[in-house]
Amino acid sequence: MIVVTGASKGLGRAICDRLIEKNINVFGLARNVENVPFYSASCDVSSYESVKAVAQQLKKDGVKVTGLVNAAGIASMNLAVTTPQSVAQKIINTNLLGTIYCCQLISPLMLRNRQGSIINFSTIAVALGLKGESIYAASKAGVEGFTRSFAREMADFNVKVNCIAPGPIDTNLLKGITAEQINKIVSQQIIPKQFKPDSVADLVELLMDSRSDSLSGQILHVGGA
Amino acid sequence: MSSAEPVRNEVFSQISRLLENKSLVVTDDMPLIGGESVLDSMKLVELCLALEDKASEIGFEFDWTSDAAMSRSRSMFRTAGSLASEFISQMEAKK
Repeated sequence: MIVVTGASKGLGRAICDRLIEKNINVFGLARNVENVPFYSASCDVSSYESVKAVAQQLKKDGVKVTGLVNAAGIASMNLAVTTPQSVAQKIINTNLLGTIYCCQLISPLMLRNRQGSIINFSTIAVALGLKGESIYAASKAGVEGFTRSFAREMADFNVKVNCIAPGPIDTNLLKGITAEQINKIVSQQIIPKQFKPDSVADLVELLMDSRSDSLSGQILHVGGA
Repeated sequence: MSSAEPVRNEVFSQISRLLENKSLVVTDDMPLIGGESVLDSMKLVELCLALEDKASEIGFEFDWTSDAAMSRSRSMFRTAGSLASEFISQMEAKK
């Protein structure tokens, strides 16, 4: 069973759909799972107690968790000086602490089996230092640092931990960003094109597979940076 | 002997099983975290998983992810004795 956060929409949903298509059991987590047509539960990743309740239920149900995809995330494209404190807090809570909580509380289910793959999500904005994304990039830079250290902590238990850092993927996270802004970012990638959620799902599929067992602690930039 | 004593012995036995130096005797004040710890961090995780299994056999859920478990000053992992006491306390609370 692979646990995927942010499963109700965007990249998380595309990842779930791909894994299900490949006959992999998926357990989707999202704040609202009303319209999620697969095994799922409501969970606010920014709440330690909410994530803990899910982890305890999985343990109680004896579910064998082999993977975790931390796709839940929020973005806010603003200059740091014009971003309200509440928004900055929410971005850090969801993107950084949400990832940490899920790793802390769900990875013990993998340690037991000495097998697993964890995928965190960053952004190409960290590597490129994009204007207007400083707080978002800060939250994701934290995810990258956490990924590298956490990968070492998990290595003895045969659990690999990697991070996918996409450029502007065509999802609802980009709502409100103009085509011109997207093109400007894309032009800074090594492969200057906007990728689809399918490209990210391809990487997730690979990182969940034993063919990628030599990779851990890596940041994979979709589009290249 | 109190009813908790066999459980305390079981916790000590799980710690003993993970010690590299098999001649060491587990005592109440044996440190499990910090510079003088007899277990490295990975062994500590293994101990937690073993205690989870033991708790499951007994019929309760051992929670080692609570704030109290993680805090250095009042952590259940301070010593073998504090870990055994927390294990017994969680067992009794869930009876």
